[in-house]
Amino acid sequence: MIVADLSAGELRRRLTGPGLRIRVGPVAAEIRSSFDAVQAGLALHYAAHDVLTAGDFADFRVSVERPLGVRRWFAPQALFRFDGNSMFTPLPAAQAFPLLEWGLNWCVSTHCHQYIVIHAAVLERNGRALLLPAPPGSGKSTLCAALVARGWRLLSDELALVELTGRRIVPFPRPISLKNRSIDTVARFWPDAAIGAVVPDTLKGSVAHVRPPVDSVRRGDEAATPGWVVLPRYESGATTRISELSKAEAFMRLVESAFNYDIHGRAGFEALAELVDASACHAFTYGGALDEAVGMFDRFAQAA
Amino acid sequence: MSRDPLWRPFAPDAVASRSWNDELVVYNDVTGSTHHLGVLGSAVMTTLLLHPTGIAQTALVRGIADDAGVVADGDLAAAVERALADLSELRLATAVPA
Repeated sequence: MIVADLSAGELRRRLTGPGLRIRVGPVAAEIRSSFDAVQAGLALHYAAHDVLTAGDFADFRVSVERPLGVRRWFAPQALFRFDGNSMFTPLPAAQAFPLLEWGLNWCVSTHCHQYIVIHAAVLERNGRALLLPAPPGSGKSTLCAALVARGWRLLSDELALVELTGRRIVPFPRPISLKNRSIDTVARFWPDAAIGAVVPDTLKGSVAHVRPPVDSVRRGDEAATPGWVVLPRYESGATTRISELSKAEAFMRLVESAFNYDIHGRAGFEALAELVDASACHAFTYGGALDEAVGMFDRFAQAA
Repeated sequence: MSRDPLWRPFAPDAVASRSWNDELVVYNDVTGSTHHLGVLGSAVMTTLLLHPTGIAQTALVRGIADDAGVVADGDLAAAVERALADLSELRLATAVPA
C-alpha cells in the first residue's frame, strides 16, 4: 500500500492517532500531526511512498504539533518533536510542512551513522551517481530539479547517504526543496512538476517543495555507484562552464559537507577516498540557462 | 638540535593517506583531523612515510629535488624546513631526538 491509497479521512486518522508510518529509502518514519498543511503536504509529496503497518519498526517517531500556551490563539505555531522531545524553537504554523521536512533532515543527519551523510543532491543515470555537494544558495536544488525533469533519477535533493565502503550511494527520495526565485524558475522549466504550496517568510525566504517522481520513489532500494562529484555554483548571468577539479579538493569539499565524517574516523576517510577515486570531479558554474546545464550533464552520462 | 636532524612520521600507523596527481590528503588518527597537503607538503609527507624510522633532513631535501628534477639549493631547503615545521605542528611529523 502507498500513501495515495489512503483516503483523506484515513490519512487524517493515522496522522492524528497512531501515526502514519512510511518508508523513505532505507528509513522508516512514523509521523503525527493535526496540521492540515502537513496532511496536504504528505498526500502530495509522499503519494508514492510505501505505507508501513503499525507492527513495522520505525527508525524515527516524529510529530509536528501545536504547542500549548496563549500563542495558539494569537499567532499559532508548529513544534517539531522527535521521540517526544522538542529540539527546535517553534515556527509559525504556516511553516508546518517545511518544518517536518527540516526535522526529517535533522533526524537522518544526526542519527544515520551507518552512512556518511553528506549535504548534497544526488542523481543517477545508467547506474552512476552524480553528487552535487554545495552550500545553500549555490543553485543545487534548482539544478537537481532540472535534471530530474529531464529524466535523471532522484536519489536525494539534500542528503547523500554514502555506504562505508564508499562504493554505493543509497537513495533517500523525498521532495525537492526550492527557495525564492528558483520556485518560478523550476515551474517554467518543468511545467508538469507537482509543486506544493509556497510558504513565505521562512528563515530561508519563500520555500516550496517538488514531488519526487514515482519512479525515483519505487526504486528507493536501488543504490548507485559513484560517477561524478560536481561542485555547482549559481552566478546570476554567468555563462555555463565546467572545469576539472582536483580530486584532493573534491575530497575536502565532501569532508566539509559531511554531517558525520568525524564520527567515522579513518573509516570515513577511506570511504570518501574510495568515492572520489571512482568519480570524475568538476566545478560547474551556471547562470540560469538550465537547458544548457542539463545538456552538459547528459553528455557526461553518455560519455561514461 | 643537530644541524642535520632526523625526521620521521609522528605516528606512521596512525596516518591514512591518498594521493591524486601531486596532492595528498591525509587522515591523522592522533588528532582525528584530515589535511589537504600542497605539492611540497605532499612530497615531504610521502617521503617521511617511506622512512618510518627516520630520514636526515638533507637526504629528504636531496630526494625531493631528485624526484622533481630540480637543484637542491638553499631555497628548496628552506621551503622543506617550513613544510616540516607545519607537518610537525599538525602532529604528522616529528624530529627524532639525537
